[in-house]
Amino acid sequence: MNPAEELKYLLPNSVVSVGVQTNKPLAVIRKEDFLKVAEKVKELGFDNLSVITGVDRVDRIEVIYNLFSYKKKQNLALKVILDHRSPEVDSVISIWKVADWLERETYDLVGVKFNGHPDLKRILLPEGWNGHPLRKDYDMNTEQFVTIGEDGEDIVSTDGSNLLRRK
Amino acid sequence: METETLLLNMGPVHPSTHGVLRFKLRMDGEIIRDCQIVVGYLHRGTEKFGEMKTYLQFIPYTDRLDYIAAMPNNYAYVKAVEELAGIEVPQRAEYIRVLVMELNRIVNHLVFMGSLLLDLGASTMIMYGFRERENALQLYESLCGARMTFNYIRPGGVREDLPDGFIPKLNEFIKDMEKRIVDYEELVNGNEIFLMRTKNIGVISAEEAINYGMTGPSMRGSGVDHDIRKLEPYSIYQDLDFRACMRREGDSYARYLVRVDEMRESLHILKQIVDTLPEGKTINQRYSFAPNTGAPSAVTSYFPRIFTPPEGEVYSRIEAPKGELGFFVASDGTTKPYRVKIRSPSFCNLVALPKMVVGLKIPDLIAAFGTIDIVLGDVDR
Repeated sequence: MNPAEELKYLLPNSVVSVGVQTNKPLAVIRKEDFLKVAEKVKELGFDNLSVITGVDRVDRIEVIYNLFSYKKKQNLALKVILDHRSPEVDSVISIWKVADWLERETYDLVGVKFNGHPDLKRILLPEGWNGHPLRKDYDMNTEQFVTIGEDGEDIVSTDGSNLLRRK
Repeated sequence: METETLLLNMGPVHPSTHGVLRFKLRMDGEIIRDCQIVVGYLHRGTEKFGEMKTYLQFIPYTDRLDYIAAMPNNYAYVKAVEELAGIEVPQRAEYIRVLVMELNRIVNHLVFMGSLLLDLGASTMIMYGFRERENALQLYESLCGARMTFNYIRPGGVREDLPDGFIPKLNEFIKDMEKRIVDYEELVNGNEIFLMRTKNIGVISAEEAINYGMTGPSMRGSGVDHDIRKLEPYSIYQDLDFRACMRREGDSYARYLVRVDEMRESLHILKQIVDTLPEGKTINQRYSFAPNTGAPSAVTSYFPRIFTPPEGEVYSRIEAPKGELGFFVASDGTTKPYRVKIRSPSFCNLVALPKMVVGLKIPDLIAAFGTIDIVLGDVDR
């Protein structure tokens, strides 16, 4: 029994389906139960959260968690499917500390809101940036310019006329 | 005596931040009470480029992530695409790939040693490190024409075969490096000032290191020997004899020693590859778009420019010199990836830094930060 099937056996109501993510077992989780499932997964020995990926599938947003257990040497991928208009899922920062930055990055670039994250703000782009670049409907034609304000804060504007630019 | 807390800004332009990284420190006298890290100054939107370029066009962009050691970046992405499309790789190509990646590990650790010692006030090591690095970069130049941004590893193999005279020059490099590492150890390891600056500084336990997402040599300084080359052997690593280097102390000095040991192991791997390098093709001919004229490697790329892997998702990871480097690639069956996500070791290793440095002084922050070994191109992507 692979870890995804084991999880399905332990929490039949929370695991929607099991599958594969190219040679890694994958479990699709109900978004309401995600925190509970994540705690269970940690109990099963998955101590390393490798990556959190947000994927914009146009009609829905998928968030994929790739986990690894150093003790059992097993892989497991978890997937939650979120509503495209207001993608929200529970934060797992209380379980894996590395989720702090990974969730902030997913929030920044894909626009997924992680409930319970203590400091959910943009990490790679400046505060005030318009839109989430890895959404498929992101406006690629409007240029955005970042300048530094008086107190060192970032100011984002779409007007670049007062900046030094090569003609 | 009562003191006020002071907010201190360090960076984004600061010689010890190795690029553009900013620390926001809350200081109580000389003691760091809180450390916030601000990143993103070098964000170039590599993941968005991944969605806009074809599978082959994206390879040069991966060079610009960790530009100190770019070969593992190439390989990690190509490995993800190969797993997605089920492409087989000829044995000789796998050997060449591991050869160039292990050589890059040595280059990375040389730069690491040099810049760490420079940050701590010793300028000799960076001269030595860059002297040896130059020999390795010349090897790369003879191999693919580039010194740092290679664009060399392709799905199905490598771009070109090894040039004439590569192996003798590599043997010279290995022989030279074996002596040099002893020199470095004599220069650095017992140095009183270096020991005072790094011993018991930035200590992190194994469980914390794993929980904070640390990987690679930074984690192996904390007494665990998890190495993806051993845990999930890829390429030809299961046939090679090497050990995952590990130290127990969890401090900056331990993280430094792990990397010195790793250089030795990489040299050991290189010697095995030189001895057992098989003959044969360097790219999977099934993906040949050029007419096969019989001349070996006459065309730079056999790989088709337009290439459509089947629909699917893959997360594939390797042990890069800095830690776990992973690529998540989702394909929708068109010529461009639907989504590319880069799990970079530098980004995730940085999460643990505030945990390490609270309660220390600013010079200790430099030592702890230096031994995590990050590259800002890899953090900000």
